[in-house]
Amino acid sequence: MINKKSSSLVKARFFKTFLIFTVVFTGWLSVNAQDVPLTVIANTKGAPPELTMTQLRSILKGEQLRWKDGSKVTIALMKTNTPTGLNTCKKLYNMTPNELNKLFLALVFQGRGEAPSFFNSVTDLEAFINQTPGTIGIIESNETNSERVISINGKKAI
Amino acid sequence: MFKFLPVFIFLVALLNFNNNLFAQNTQIKGFIDGITTYQNGQVSFGFEEQDLFITSQITDRISFLGETVFKFSPTSPTDFDVSVERVVFKYNYAGNNSLLFGKQHTPIDYWNDSYHHGRVFYPTIFRPLLFDANIIPLHTTGIRLQGDNLGDIKFGYDFMVGNGLGSTDVQDNDKNKSVTAALHIKPADGLQIGGSFYSDVISKGATPHDFTMPVKYQVNQNLITGSVAYFGKKFEVLAESTFAYNHADSIGTKRTIASYIYGGIRVTDKLVPYAKVEQINYQQGEIYYMKDNVTSFIGGIRYEISYLAVIKLEYEYDKKEIEGRINKITAQFAIGF
Repeated sequence: MINKKSSSLVKARFFKTFLIFTVVFTGWLSVNAQDVPLTVIANTKGAPPELTMTQLRSILKGEQLRWKDGSKVTIALMKTNTPTGLNTCKKLYNMTPNELNKLFLALVFQGRGEAPSFFNSVTDLEAFINQTPGTIGIIESNETNSERVISINGKKAI
Repeated sequence: MFKFLPVFIFLVALLNFNNNLFAQNTQIKGFIDGITTYQNGQVSFGFEEQDLFITSQITDRISFLGETVFKFSPTSPTDFDVSVERVVFKYNYAGNNSLLFGKQHTPIDYWNDSYHHGRVFYPTIFRPLLFDANIIPLHTTGIRLQGDNLGDIKFGYDFMVGNGLGSTDVQDNDKNKSVTAALHIKPADGLQIGGSFYSDVISKGATPHDFTMPVKYQVNQNLITGSVAYFGKKFEVLAESTFAYNHADSIGTKRTIASYIYGGIRVTDKLVPYAKVEQINYQQGEIYYMKDNVTSFIGGIRYEISYLAVIKLEYEYDKKEIEGRINKITAQFAIGF
């Protein structure tokens, strides 16, 4: 009887600890996702070396189809379920992942734009940008190995 | 020497095409919804159109959009019809300016060009009644110039010349062409203000889409529309009005006004209670539309599970000149896939 009681007590304590850990870890992830600065990288062809934040937001929403040199604007983002993707949604789109996906589904359905290419890893995203003229992408500042970083309002990290 | 020129051009084009095939990006997406309706003491279950749309980036500047709908049709031997709703070839010739060719949603009104068959996007369960009343031409086959997000106010334009009402998807039924001109601006996030003009001459004897009888007179039709759409983080407003002027030489001009206003408040991330009021008024002696003055009220609630799955529950009250009063409750589950 006592054994059963103490066993259920241990279980309850373990559950509590697990719950606290989960809450703290999730909170840390969410805070972390918001706080890490982002960097805009681009293919050597297309994007200018400097943009304003207003221009960047407009481009990322699919509102600009071509760069001044005539190359097609292609957007590369981390998937919205990754910390970088979530950070990008909040900081640059001021949207939830759901709102972002809806925006692009509607744009594609109306035939007025193209959805971004989404990636699971920074390596894949950078490789895509290097291979695809006109591509602009977002990664976290501490992750970049790219040779072409675009300044936003004069800053390399936003 | 010049006789080889076309072959040379063809080969160059083919090589260029093959180069671009490597980067081709083709996607298939779709929409469907299931509904349950309670009306006159009877519960009915059903589903509406199954919509498939394909987009493909053919080259750096050429893209394709195709949309096909499978829908219930009591006159079909299989109970279903297949309808090609859009076939659009798009050439982005400079900046945000493009040339489009094919069967398209007529760029008139906000709802028609923005939602159309994408029921998961609809803020209400059904589209406005003016669609079913054939007040505006839903599709036009023709050629269109389109521009979007130009300048600080994000100016946009659509100019289209197409086969007029009464034509088929492959041939015009007369020499008259329909003309559409639509302009809009997006001065703030989520806000779009627009207006459009449509003009066509509908030949005597023509049977436009969804009409059961041929038109008795030649009708000169002019439509003027205005719309304001705001979909923000907290509030949603969509108001549109269409003024239709149908003229027949022997009868004169008859005017129809169709308007609706929709409003919604996002109370949580996923939950939006909403209401819509709509009215269509035909002038006595209308010569082209089926005169059926209507006032409609809708109150409902929308729960957005995700951008690909939405549940709506709404009550609708219509007062129609021909059918009388209609009360119904409808629940819908709409998805994108």
